[in-house]
Amino acid sequence: MTTQQTRPSLDDPRIAIPSTSEWYEPAPTAQTERQAEFLNLRDGEMFINMGPQHPSTHGVLRIVVKVNGEQVVDLDPVLGYLHRGVEKLCENADYHQAICYTDPLEYVASLFCEAAPVAAFEKLMDVEVPRRAQYIRVLTMELNRIASHTLFQGWMALDLGGITPILWAFIERDEIVDMLAALTGQKLLYNYYRIGGVNGDLNHEFMSRLGNWMSRAAAQIDSNTGLMNENELFVRRTRGLGTLDQATALRMGVTGPNLRATGVPFDLRRDHPYLVYPELEFNVPTRDEGDSLARYMVRIDEIRESIRIIDQVLHEMPDGPVMAKLPRLIRPRPGRAFGAVEGPRGAYGVYAISDGTDQPFRMRIHDPSFVHLQLVGPLTRGNLIADTMAVMASLDPVMGGVDK
Amino acid sequence: MDRALASALQERFGTTLLAPVRQRFDETEIRVSIADAIPTLRALHDEPDFAFEMLIDLCGVDTGEEMQVVYHLSSSTTGDWLRVIVPGVDRSAPRVNSLVSLWPGAEWMEREAYDMFGIIFEGNRDLRRIYMPDDYLSHPLRKDFYLADDASRSPAAGVRNMERAGTPADATRATALRKSSGA
Amino acid sequence: MAMTRDPKKGLQVPIVTPNTLWTTDDPRAYGGVPLAQHPNLELARYDATGDGRVDDARWGGALGAIPTKADIVLDLIRANSLWPLLSGLACCAIEMMSTATPKNDIDRWGMFPFRASPRQADVLIVAGTLTTKMAEPLIRLWEQMPEPKWVVAMGDCTCSGGRYKRSYSVVQGIDRVMPVDVYIPGCPPRPEGLIYGMMKLQQLIKDRRGHWPERAIGPTVPDGI
Repeated sequence: MTTQQTRPSLDDPRIAIPSTSEWYEPAPTAQTERQAEFLNLRDGEMFINMGPQHPSTHGVLRIVVKVNGEQVVDLDPVLGYLHRGVEKLCENADYHQAICYTDPLEYVASLFCEAAPVAAFEKLMDVEVPRRAQYIRVLTMELNRIASHTLFQGWMALDLGGITPILWAFIERDEIVDMLAALTGQKLLYNYYRIGGVNGDLNHEFMSRLGNWMSRAAAQIDSNTGLMNENELFVRRTRGLGTLDQATALRMGVTGPNLRATGVPFDLRRDHPYLVYPELEFNVPTRDEGDSLARYMVRIDEIRESIRIIDQVLHEMPDGPVMAKLPRLIRPRPGRAFGAVEGPRGAYGVYAISDGTDQPFRMRIHDPSFVHLQLVGPLTRGNLIADTMAVMASLDPVMGGVDK
Repeated sequence: MDRALASALQERFGTTLLAPVRQRFDETEIRVSIADAIPTLRALHDEPDFAFEMLIDLCGVDTGEEMQVVYHLSSSTTGDWLRVIVPGVDRSAPRVNSLVSLWPGAEWMEREAYDMFGIIFEGNRDLRRIYMPDDYLSHPLRKDFYLADDASRSPAAGVRNMERAGTPADATRATALRKSSGA
Repeated sequence: MAMTRDPKKGLQVPIVTPNTLWTTDDPRAYGGVPLAQHPNLELARYDATGDGRVDDARWGGALGAIPTKADIVLDLIRANSLWPLLSGLACCAIEMMSTATPKNDIDRWGMFPFRASPRQADVLIVAGTLTTKMAEPLIRLWEQMPEPKWVVAMGDCTCSGGRYKRSYSVVQGIDRVMPVDVYIPGCPPRPEGLIYGMMKLQQLIKDRRGHWPERAIGPTVPDGI
């Protein structure tokens, strides 16, 4: 490390700033066949690097785009700029700490990131979660889903160039998130779910804010949505863009709203039910077109379904404890468990292996955004550079989960 | 717990399974050898009785003695998750066949398994590192890759913090790995 | 932190163990090249000769403590119109965006335009975990920002590595790679916290503290770390 007095000064005219050609690394050598294909430039093609820092606010993703003029020929996303080594850290922490590490993965929907490992650990421990805790979990997860989808709306507009919807989306999201802050103490990384229940019962502040919000929710969502749905620019830019058909989607491992926009009604809440979803009435919205607009519309419909679910949960919430009686030291028997929840982006799953000690032996986190980012290449081929962002926004990735 | 699924799997694949079909809660688990993995998955995908069209997850596991590749599948015919474990991957030279021919979406999941464990997937046309920089040398999730514990500063000095297992001789990583039965 | 009881005073004192795992005397450090000949420190060696410190806008020495009227006005302008660089890396970026939106409006202090290009930005608010792979692009961004520039470390991960203290791929605090003016703790810090930090930065600018008056580049981590 250089010491205080040897810091060079930029004012000196004799310092030679290297020319821009030296700032950049030489072209990478291809390590694999696919990369060799990608790096092979034909006549008229060039690379554009949408580097790890770019205004599209999905996080740090680097996309190397091979363009012919304005048309995208091929795409190579480079990940890893936010890889924090969460799986390794979880192996060296005990079960409660492991849940805390998973929060910041999909940070806009962090209750789902906690729900999956908690479900897996509860299977390992063979713990029955009290009914009230299950209802509270469903309630908070649906609130988080609405917050995430509202944010998706704003981001999608921001990536297409509109500034107003994201400001409106954040107003909406701030209301929900303040509600959850009154309940959990945190606005973003809630750390609310525990193995066997939740950390603390509902309180008066939360219930009054929730009631307040529920009375206005549907109207507010409609007005926010109308801002974008009725905007011709938005519709014309997203209609027919990045069409994904059913067979490809299934072959690519797509889940969640992206899959439902192609017509496959796969929803973990229906097909692999967990918590109290079997007792709740809700529809699984699907669309058939599979383009960006369909993916957007599916999420809007999901917001409305979530409001319906919250309504039912509030009416049917039983009394009782919110935490099961568990020993302080969580030490499950050796075994394996897979717990998955339907997050706002898709199937968020955790595969946990226990070796009988108080630390998970392996905690594999499956994030849906990771799988969906593979689609950016095939879906953008042939479109313009600006459509890269539109397609990515419609797939709604969150780089925290992609990079773990 | 779908008993019909377990018996159907046992009937169809019984000869190639390395262990009986296990079920717990809503998960069904089968073990196949490295050579049988892709044919089994292809059969699970194509045959209408099983119709496991959705690949949910592909991951690697390092048990300390061997490595495994674990697939999680989902089907519209059953409410169970199907877990296919391919054990017996050699830790010093891990090679398995790639799933990309069946599910192109497995490409990045295999890249991640390669990056984290060093498992080579034959048939994956893009097997390079995905999380770590390209010139990184280790594979972080292997059990012989130790985190930089502040071992010199903590009173536990590198031993797992909450639990001191039995006698001091037990409190080593090798023992903990040996104790993991069937994992 | 490991604590023990000092038997003489009966107080709890921390156990401080020097890091003996790796030191800069190790011949394998820095790619095997001794620091005195390391090519990356060309500029540092040049600056050590003292030939480069030409100060054209300020008087040197003790006279540098007397700000002129122009300096006061310039500092006011800079403080009230800080344009941040969009460098949201992870979760703290959401809180940063939340600060920019109507509920906690940072536009009241003139900081709404989050510039995408570093050439147009004044302050680099590093919001989110800095990983070793991202460190190089971030430092490049910071170097591309024209002076005067300030750095705000938002969130626990940028202050010290945060909850990723043991991780193999996280930089343990961005002050290991760039000089930081304001540290804002929190995981994530509330928007009010970020606003408080930015107001502190404005105060630093007006008092001409922080790193810019020295107009130097390079990490300012003191010896012995």
